[in-house]
Amino acid sequence: MKSEFVFTSESVTEGHPDKLCDQISDAIVDQFLQYDPYSRILAECAVANGVIFIAARFASTAAVDIPDVARRIINRVGYSGGDFNAQDCTILTNFTELPSSAHDTSDERELDDKGHSKYPAKHHATAFGFACTQTAELMPLPISLAHHLAQRLTAVRVDNSLPYLLPDATIQVAIEYKQQKPYRVHSINLVTSHNPLTELQAKTMQSDLIEQVFTPVIEQQDVRFDTRTKIFVNPEGPVIGGGPAQHSGLTGRKNAVDTYGQYSRSSGSALSGKDPTRIDRIGTYMARYAAKNIVSAGLAEQCEVQLSYTIGQAKPVSVQVETYGTGKVGEDDIAARIQAHLDFRPSAIIAQFNLRQLPAMPASGFYQHLAAYGHVGRTELELPWEKTDKAEALK
Amino acid sequence: MNTPPDPASADGANATAGSPRPHPLKVRIKVLHATVKGRARYHVSTLQRSETFAVQLQRQLSALEGIVSARPSALTGNVLLHYDPVLTPEAVLALLKKGIRRALTGARYTRATASPAAGRDWQGFKRQVNRLLDSLSSLHDARTTAEEAEAEAGAPTPATPASDWYHTPLEQLLEQIATGKDDGLSEDEANARLRRYGLNELPKLSKRSELAILIEQFMSVPVGLLATSAVVSVATGGVLDAVVIMSVVAINAGIGFFTERQAEKTITSLTKTQTRYAHVMRGGKVQQVSHARVAPGDLLLLSPGDFVAADARLVRSHRLTVDESALTGESLPVVKSSHMRCDDKTPLADRLNMVHMGTMVTGGSGSAVVVATGAATELGKIQSMVGATRPPETPMQMQLEKIGTQLAVISSAVCASVFVIGLLRGQSFLQMLKSAISLAVAAVPEGLPTVATTTLALGIRNMQQHHVAIRRLNAVETLGSVQVFCLDKTGTLTLNKMTVVATHVGGRSIVISGAQFITDAEVIDPVGRADYLRFLQVLVLCNESETTQQGDAVVFDGSPTENALLELAINAGIDIDALRAQLPRLKIQYRSEIRPYMWTCHKLSDTTQLVAIKGSPLQVLDMCRFHYGDDGLQQLDDDAKARILAANDDMAGDALRVLGVAYAEQPLGNEDVYQDLVWLGLSGMIDPLRTGMPDLIHTFHQAGIQTVMITGDQSATAYAIGRQLGLNQDGSLQILDSTRLDKLDADLLRGVIDKVHVFARVSPAHKLQIVQALQQSGKVVAMTGDGINDGPALKASDIGVAMGGATTDVARSVSAVVLEDDNLHTMVDAIHQGRAIYNNIRKSVHYLISTNLSEIEVMLAGISLGFGQALNPMQLLWINLVSDIFPGLALSMEAPEPDLMRQAPRDPTEQIIRKQDLMRMFRESTIISAGAMTSYAYALLRYGPGPQANTHTFNTLTLAQLIHAYSCRSDHYSIFSKEKLPRNRYLSLAMGGSITLQLLAMSIPGLRSLLGASRLGLLDTVVVAGNAVLPLLINEAIKETAKRTNRPALTDQTGHRANHKTTRKKNRKTAGKRTRKSTDKTRDTTTKNTGPLPGQTMEDLS
Repeated sequence: MKSEFVFTSESVTEGHPDKLCDQISDAIVDQFLQYDPYSRILAECAVANGVIFIAARFASTAAVDIPDVARRIINRVGYSGGDFNAQDCTILTNFTELPSSAHDTSDERELDDKGHSKYPAKHHATAFGFACTQTAELMPLPISLAHHLAQRLTAVRVDNSLPYLLPDATIQVAIEYKQQKPYRVHSINLVTSHNPLTELQAKTMQSDLIEQVFTPVIEQQDVRFDTRTKIFVNPEGPVIGGGPAQHSGLTGRKNAVDTYGQYSRSSGSALSGKDPTRIDRIGTYMARYAAKNIVSAGLAEQCEVQLSYTIGQAKPVSVQVETYGTGKVGEDDIAARIQAHLDFRPSAIIAQFNLRQLPAMPASGFYQHLAAYGHVGRTELELPWEKTDKAEALK
Repeated sequence: MNTPPDPASADGANATAGSPRPHPLKVRIKVLHATVKGRARYHVSTLQRSETFAVQLQRQLSALEGIVSARPSALTGNVLLHYDPVLTPEAVLALLKKGIRRALTGARYTRATASPAAGRDWQGFKRQVNRLLDSLSSLHDARTTAEEAEAEAGAPTPATPASDWYHTPLEQLLEQIATGKDDGLSEDEANARLRRYGLNELPKLSKRSELAILIEQFMSVPVGLLATSAVVSVATGGVLDAVVIMSVVAINAGIGFFTERQAEKTITSLTKTQTRYAHVMRGGKVQQVSHARVAPGDLLLLSPGDFVAADARLVRSHRLTVDESALTGESLPVVKSSHMRCDDKTPLADRLNMVHMGTMVTGGSGSAVVVATGAATELGKIQSMVGATRPPETPMQMQLEKIGTQLAVISSAVCASVFVIGLLRGQSFLQMLKSAISLAVAAVPEGLPTVATTTLALGIRNMQQHHVAIRRLNAVETLGSVQVFCLDKTGTLTLNKMTVVATHVGGRSIVISGAQFITDAEVIDPVGRADYLRFLQVLVLCNESETTQQGDAVVFDGSPTENALLELAINAGIDIDALRAQLPRLKIQYRSEIRPYMWTCHKLSDTTQLVAIKGSPLQVLDMCRFHYGDDGLQQLDDDAKARILAANDDMAGDALRVLGVAYAEQPLGNEDVYQDLVWLGLSGMIDPLRTGMPDLIHTFHQAGIQTVMITGDQSATAYAIGRQLGLNQDGSLQILDSTRLDKLDADLLRGVIDKVHVFARVSPAHKLQIVQALQQSGKVVAMTGDGINDGPALKASDIGVAMGGATTDVARSVSAVVLEDDNLHTMVDAIHQGRAIYNNIRKSVHYLISTNLSEIEVMLAGISLGFGQALNPMQLLWINLVSDIFPGLALSMEAPEPDLMRQAPRDPTEQIIRKQDLMRMFRESTIISAGAMTSYAYALLRYGPGPQANTHTFNTLTLAQLIHAYSCRSDHYSIFSKEKLPRNRYLSLAMGGSITLQLLAMSIPGLRSLLGASRLGLLDTVVVAGNAVLPLLINEAIKETAKRTNRPALTDQTGHRANHKTTRKKNRKTAGKRTRKSTDKTRDTTTKNTGPLPGQTMEDLS
C-alpha cells in the first residue's frame, strides 16, 4: 500500500431512506426478540413513493404489530409531518410464517463446549472484521469521522439549533494520509435536506454547519482541519424536502456505512433485519471483536480478520489474519492465538454476546440502534464486540 | 352530468320534446385504464345511472368498425371497450365519442313518436307497437286514484320553478317561492301546490301489459314467415296445411306468452322500490310524508341516510355531506353548505347550496326549501332525456340478440339458396317456396333473448327462495363472473359484538365458551372461587355501562367493551343491580390519553372503601403491590409478574383486547387510591368470527374468487384474523395498513392491490378507493356493506351485497344483491346460482342453435346433392314444435354441474357464445345431419324418393335432436363420465313428452298423413333409431376423449386470471408432450386450462 493517499468514506443520517429501512427491519427484530428471545425473524423493508413495503418471515410466539413498529421508527427518525409521515403513510406488509421447526427454544448460554458444536452454520459465509489505531475506538478515520459528523448533524437538527434541517442527509469525508497515517481532512461533502430557506439562512447555512457541526467534531480527532480543506454543502443545489417522499430506500444497501467505510473488505450481505442465528450478521461482529482485541493487545497497528463458515460446520473453516505489515508477530501466530482464546462457533457467539436477550434489556431495543451510524466502532452503545477483554490473553 | 343553464332546456318538458337539435348535454370522458392493447376502460359522465343510455351506447359502439365489444355499465358509469389492437388510443377515444354522440341522439329518437330511425327497423316497430299497447292498456287501468288524477290535471302548469334557484339570493328565493324559512308551508298550501305542480314522482317504468306480451308473440319474423306459408298453402289449395301452420303459430305463441308473462312479473318486481319518506316542516311542525307528497316550497329536514326527496336550496346546514353519484357520477360525498354562493354559470356538480332529488345524505344535517319536484328536478330531466322507461337488457341478452340476428341472416340466406338450388333441380316453384319458408321457420333461432330472459327470471325466483334478493336483472350474470369479494370484517365476518372469551385469574387461564367457564378442560363455577368472584365484581363496579330492563331482556347502554364485561358477569350469575346498590359509587376517574385505565371508588363499609381499577394490563400491573391467588393475598414478585405478562402476551397474540383488573381496600376517604393495589387478573375480549367463516373463505378460494378483508383494526389484530380465516390460501399474508388510502398514488394502489388480502386501519369511506382500484386492475368486484358510509362503495362495485340486517335503507337500495338472512354463506349460493344460470342459458342456446343448424344442413344437403327434399314443410314445422321448445326450456333448468364451484370465475369479457362454441355446434350438427342423411340414403335405396324416404329422415332427425339435449347438458361432462351430472327431472319429462308426441304423430293415421309420413317397418325403425343414437355417441365420445387427453374440446368457465398464463404454460407443455401422447393421459386436478381449438383435438385423435 502506498504511504500517501486520499481515502473517502460516507455516512448517512437516520432519516436517509436506506437507513430508515435498516432501522425498521432491526426494530422489528428487536420487537420479536423482546417478546420471544428465540424468535426466528427476517425482516426486509423497502420504501418507494412514500409507501413502505415490509416482508417479514418469522417463527415466533410473539405477536408483533409490524406496521406499528415501522410507524414508531418513522416518527422517531423525524418524519412526523409533510408528504411522508408516520401517521398516514401506507404500509404494505407481507407476513410469511416459517415452519415451526425453525423455532428452536434452546438457550445457547446453557450449552457446554460439546453443545456448541451441535449448532453448525446454516450458510456459507465469509465475515470480515477490522481494527486500526487511527482513532480511539480503533476504527478507520474516514468512516469514523463521517459517522460522528452525521450524528452531530442529527443532534443539531433535533435540538432545533438549525431549524431548517430535515432528517435526510449524506456526509462524505476525504482524508489525506501521510506515512499511512491520517494527516488532514482533504474535503467534506454534505448533502442535507432542508425546508425552504430564507435569504439569510441560505447565506449562512454553510458557515452555520461548519461552526456547529464540522468544527466541534473534527476538533476531537487528531487530524488537521484547515483553510485548504474543501467544504461542499449541497453542491448540486438546495434539497428541499428529501426523504422517502423523494427517493427510495432498501434494507441492506448501506453495507459500507454499516462497517468500515470500504477501508477494509466487508461481506456483501445485509446486517440489518436478521435475527442472531444468521452467521453473516454475527460473524461480522465476532470478526470485529477479534480484530479489535488483536490491535488492542498491540499485536498489530492495523488488522483484518477473515472468518469463513461453511454449512454444516460449527467452527469456521478458515480464520485468516492480515496485518498489512504492521504485525509484531506473524499473522499465522495471531490467527492461532485468537482461535485458542475466542470461540467462533455460531451458538457460542450468541452466548458470549448475549445476542438474544440484549433487545429486551433497554426498553428502546438493541439492534435498531446499530442500524444507523455503524454496527462497529460504537463506543457509546457498549457493544459486546467492542470490548477489549481478550487483549491480555492474546498478548 | 353537466348541464349548462340553457334557458331552452331548463324546463324538463321542453327538453324532452324530441326535436333533433344539437344536444345540450356535455359529456365528460375520463380514461381509466388503457394500458392493455385492445382493451380500455373509460368513465363517461352521462352514463352513470342511466341504464337506457347504457343500452343505447352498447348498441351504437358495437356497430362501429374497430370496436370488438363494448360493455357500458350504468352502475359505475364506466365503459369497457374491446377494440382492434391496431387502433391508437386516440382513435379509440374518437370512436367512443362517436358512439356517445350517436347513442345520445339515438336515445332521443326513441322518445320521438315519429322517428325515422325507429320506423326503419323491426325492433323499432315492435317498440312502437308496444308503446301503443301500453298507452291503450293504461287507459283501462283503473288504479289511477282520484287524488293522482287531480294532481295530473294540473301537471303541465309552466309555473313549476325554473332551474335558476341556485344563484338567486336566498331571501329573494324564499319570497318567490312563498315559504317560511322556519315554518315551511301550511298543510293547505302544500296540498294546493301538489294539485298545481303535480305529485313529486318521476315517470314510472312502464310495465308490459299481458296483451302486449301476447301480441308480441305474433310480432316476429318466423310468425310472419309462417303466415306467408299459410297464405301460400291456401293459394295452392292446402287449407288443412294452413290450419296446421296456424295451430303451430298458436301453440308457439301460447307457450311464449306464459313463460314471458311469468318472467315479466319477476323482472318488474325488481324495480319496485319501497315508498320513501321525508321529514318536512309544515305549519311549524315536523311531519313525515312520502316523497311523492313533497311540494315545491316545502322545507325538507335532512339527516344521514335520507334520500333527498326533491331538488332543494339549502337554508341551513351543519357539516352536511351528500353522495351525488346518482346525478353527477362523482363517487365521493360532496360537502354542502347553505352559505355557498353560486352564479348562473355554476355547473350542476358544483352547486353546493343545492341538494338534489335521488341523492343521499351521508353526514351532517340541514334544512332546505324545495324548488323543483317530479320531472322538473335534475334527475327528472335526465330521466326524460334518456327516456328510461323499460328495464334495460343485460349485456348477455344483447349479445344473444346480436347472435340471433346474425344467425337469422345466415339461415335466411341458406334457405334462399335451398330455394334457388331446388328450382334449378327442377322442383316446382310453389313446393320449393313452401319448403324454403318452412325451413326458415324451423331454422331461424328466434327465441334466443327470450330464453335468456326466462332463465334469468326463473333464477331470480329460485334465489329468492334461498333468501337472496336480486335487485337488478344483470346482477345474475355478473354474480357468475365475480372475481374478487371484498368483505367487511365487522358485522359481516364477525358478529359485531365484543365478547369476553378468555380470562387469566389467580395464575390460571379460564376460557369462556358461551356461558361456560372452562379451565383445564373442566367446567367450573366462577363465583365459587373467591378470586374470580372478586374479579367479576370489580368488572361490574368499574364499568361505565348502565343497564335497563326492557321486558325480559337486559339492555346495556355503554361501549361494546364495557357491555361485554357486564355480560360476562351476568353469565357467571352476578346480580349487577344488587351489587351496584350494595356498594354505592363514591368517585369515578375515566380513562384518558395519558391515563390508560379507569378507576371507581365505592363505599365498602362505614370505615372502608373499595377501589376498583381496570385498564392497560402493563400499567395496572405496574401499580400493584400484591396479587390475589389461591392462598389469598401475596406479594407480587418478579416471577408472578413474568407469568402475568406471559399470559398477557398470549392473549394479545390471539388478537384479544386485554384489560388488567385490580382492586384495593382502604380506609374510607383515603386520598391515594393507588395505595396497596391487589392484582386480580386479565380479561381478553374479541369480536368473534361468525361460525364457519374459514370454511366459507375456502369455498370462495376453491371457486377461484379472491377474498379481501377490510377492517379498521390494527395490523396485529387483522393479521390474527386473516390467518384464522385462511385469507392467504397457505401463502404469505399481505396486509395494507393505511389510514389515508386516498393519499396513496392511484397507480401504485392499482399495482399492489392484486396481492393484498387485508386492508387494515381503513375507514369505511376508503372502501370506494379499494373497489375502484380493483376494478381498474380489471377485476369484477363484489363488496359487502351495511352502513350509510358503505353506500358509495356498494354502488361502485359490480355486485354490491347488502346484509339483511343492514340498519340503513341506503345499503339495501344501492346494492345489487341483498342477503335477507344476514348469512354470508348465502352468498355462495348466490354465486353458485349465478354461474349455473349463465351456464344454463348457454346450454339452452347451444341446443337451439345446434339443432336448428342440423335442419338446415339436412335440407341443404338433400337439395344440393340432388336427392330432393329430405323433409317436407309440415315435417319441418313439426320438428320446430316438438324438438325446440321443451328440451330447450328443460336445459335452462339444469342443476349446477358438480364441479361448478371448483372452477375459476368466467372471464367477464367473454361472449356468451364463443367461437369454440360455434365450432362445436357446427361439428355436432354435422354429425347429427350425417345420421339423418344416412337414414335418408338407406330409404332412398330401399324405397326410392317419396314420403317413405322423408319419414326416415324426419324420424331420425327428430329423435337425434331430442337426445342431443343430453349432450348439451354440459360442455365437459359426457354420458361416459364417471362423475354423473345430477338428474334433471324437467329434461326427462320434456324428453318423454316429446318422444310420445312423435310416436303419436307416427301412429295416429290422421296426423301421420298430415305430416306426409308413412309407417316404418321393423328394420326401418332399427335404422332410424341407430342413426339417431349414433351421433350422440360420437359427439359424446369426442367430448370425453378431449377431456381425457386433458385438453377439453371446449373451455369450461375458465377464469380470465388463470387464462393467459396457464394457457401459455400449458401450450408449451403440450407441445413437449405431443411426442409422448400415450403417457399424456393424466387428468389435471383442476380445470384451469384452456384447451386448444377442436380442430387440434381432432388431429390428436387420429
